[in-house]
Amino acid sequence: MKRLLTTTALLLGAGLAQASELTIVREVDSNNYDPHKSTARAASEILFMLGDTLVSLAPDMQTIEPGIAESWEVSEDATTYTFKLREDVTFCDGKPLTAADVAYSVNRWIDPDTKSPVAWRAGEVESVTAVDDYTVEYKLKAPFSELLYQLTQSFGTIIDQANVEALGPDFGISGFNGTGPYCWVEWTPRDKMIIEKHEAFTWGAPFHSNTGPASIDKITWQIVPEENTRTVAVITGQSQVTQYVPYIALEQLAASPGVEVVRSDLAFWTYYMGFKIDKETVSDPAVRKAINLAVDQAAMSEDLFFGVVQPAYSYVSQEALDWNTAVDDKLLKYDVAEANKILDDAGWVRGDDGVRSKDGVRLSPTAYVFAGSTWGKLSEAVQAYLREIGVDMQIQAFDATVAWGKLATQEFDMYGMSFPYVSSGDALNLYFRSQNMPSPNRMNWNDAETDELLLAGATATSDEGRASAYGEVLDKVHEAAVWLPLYHEPMVIAQSTDLETIVPHNIYGAGLYKGLDLKLKE
Amino acid sequence: MTDVEAPSWDAPAPVRPWWQRLLRDPIALIAAAVLAVIVFCAIAAPLISPHDPFASSRAVMKPPFWSDRSDPAHILGTDGQGRDMLSRLFYGTRLTLIIGVLSVGIGGVLGSLLGLLAAFRPKLDPWVMRLVDVMLSFPAILLGLALVAVVGPGATPVIIALAIATIPDSARIARSIAVSVMKQEYIEAGRALGLSSFALFHRYLLRNCVSTIMIFMSMRFGQIILIGAALSFLGLGARPPTAELGMMAAQGRDFLLFAPHIAVIPAVLTFVIVLAANILGDALRDVLDPRLRS
Repeated sequence: MKRLLTTTALLLGAGLAQASELTIVREVDSNNYDPHKSTARAASEILFMLGDTLVSLAPDMQTIEPGIAESWEVSEDATTYTFKLREDVTFCDGKPLTAADVAYSVNRWIDPDTKSPVAWRAGEVESVTAVDDYTVEYKLKAPFSELLYQLTQSFGTIIDQANVEALGPDFGISGFNGTGPYCWVEWTPRDKMIIEKHEAFTWGAPFHSNTGPASIDKITWQIVPEENTRTVAVITGQSQVTQYVPYIALEQLAASPGVEVVRSDLAFWTYYMGFKIDKETVSDPAVRKAINLAVDQAAMSEDLFFGVVQPAYSYVSQEALDWNTAVDDKLLKYDVAEANKILDDAGWVRGDDGVRSKDGVRLSPTAYVFAGSTWGKLSEAVQAYLREIGVDMQIQAFDATVAWGKLATQEFDMYGMSFPYVSSGDALNLYFRSQNMPSPNRMNWNDAETDELLLAGATATSDEGRASAYGEVLDKVHEAAVWLPLYHEPMVIAQSTDLETIVPHNIYGAGLYKGLDLKLKE
Repeated sequence: MTDVEAPSWDAPAPVRPWWQRLLRDPIALIAAAVLAVIVFCAIAAPLISPHDPFASSRAVMKPPFWSDRSDPAHILGTDGQGRDMLSRLFYGTRLTLIIGVLSVGIGGVLGSLLGLLAAFRPKLDPWVMRLVDVMLSFPAILLGLALVAVVGPGATPVIIALAIATIPDSARIARSIAVSVMKQEYIEAGRALGLSSFALFHRYLLRNCVSTIMIFMSMRFGQIILIGAALSFLGLGARPPTAELGMMAAQGRDFLLFAPHIAVIPAVLTFVIVLAANILGDALRDVLDPRLRS
């Protein structure tokens, strides 16, 4: 009898321990977890779980759903948004959330003293004020059609003023008091982040399978930089969830007992190489067009990424909001003969070594890329393709710590980059506004008409108006071949079969979003 | 009376030339043969490579010939980009050897000159040796990292870093041997005969030190190749698409679980080159060093 009791107790104990803890492995850490001070995907992954935003984005990446705000109204001139907040929301420390917290969060986000690299995402704010305890008035100087999409991002996370002031420069480093489904326990930089269930949480957005509280008690986000080690961790059950699996291992993972691979193809994360269009090597549109035609994205997707990624010919996913379907037929696809013909016609003549030149300019553009296996593979594959058309691309790889600085200079002819977006407009405003030169508008795309159209799109008060303005910009930049799109990265998550099947989300590349769908099978 | 036998006295065996003694060492011969084959393949890379080392065959990660899934067109398989491993090894060895030879050559010559000069002109000695001590405090890898940070990655900064790292050791070796040579009577005799400083330096000092210096450089060659490969492994050496053994091993790291040959083959080749160079260096020391001859 005693033995039976002990066994039962042990089983129960084991069951409980298993039921409540998860380890998620990932590749890199963030430098901090202050929503206004990091643009890293690694920061967003955690902040979505620790905090909440006014509105949420459904897994279709298009529908805005309630978040902290249960409803909202937009004034006729689209410059005033009035958010009605839920009254049952509390922070991890038990304090109720009020409109004052929302106003504080947005005002800190846009305060020049915060030096937030993402302040522009809040729109041109006139004022954000608490009308009463549960009503927020968000006033803009000009309409901003992207606003609700931007407010779903982790940058719009509602924070606690007392917490920010108490922690000072250590806010988001030694602690974070949020209203999300999980609460901050401990962060060891470059090692792990531990978060635990927020018991009072009941305000999850309606599209989640569970609106709260979370069914997992404790999550450890473990940093494992090495691809092979992550794969082994998932196969052996040391980690139950990860979205950082090498594509080469997907087949094996899917075949492993106890591991399931889920994916979403609403891939709003695009890899591309951009051209600095005022450099003498790539200033000729014929060269840029030929380079686009010389690269076989489909073969690259197959050979380097085992067919997991989607070859890209467009600068944003063709599934993205406001994509211009008129551009579909104009996209440049692999055709080496045509590429060579374009270069021949444009007067670029092959030299003895096979490299083309014209008027003393040798066609050997320098490309700056991030050091690491992804860009190593990508840039070398592109380099091999370009050799076929007599373009001798020089690759310079930099560690991420110096790469961002190097990419803000005028030294290079081409550069490699990848980025997340919620819509066409989001991507276009980021990259093609002349005031965003030299970075992130590293192409030096300086076109008054584009600026006007982007402004028209951002301030449009109707969906059609916005789509047509952005559509025109899409047409313009594709026509000028300012980028070489490479691939759209799908969201792929490897998970333990002990867990209910996860519906991957694509918001800012954070596949688990709020972590509310993480649930152990009965 | 007993006859006292005249003590027998054998004439010393005639000293064979060094290369003949080297030929009697079978292990050294094997090492020399292996190195010769590797050097030949490296030099003849453009002629003997079965494929373009930079072009993708679209058949990625094909295993080498001993596997059932191998492709007869690629004896050693293909890498993660579908490039022929064998052709890349030929070209990779080429660059690895160039880095090794140039850095040891430049560093060894500069360092030896400094060391000889320090011994030849005692007034210069403290200055030269303190400079050498300062240089000795920089590890080659750190120096490589710093140089690459300034001028960007490429074979040239790696060669410069490795050459600088070779200078202090060769300077110390050259000085130590030169100091003992300077105490020899023939130096004094040369001086007494009124030889010019240059002739004394060149004919009496340099020629008597050169074999020791050569031994040191041959031993150093293996180490330098290893450090050069390590720098390339870290992404500091060769720039793509150029192949280099360390860099090839680094690129294969991602596929270690699924296609280990991509990382293992260049690593094994590096090992073989370094081992052969070290064995040959040892053998050369055995036959060239006068102190070991007796």
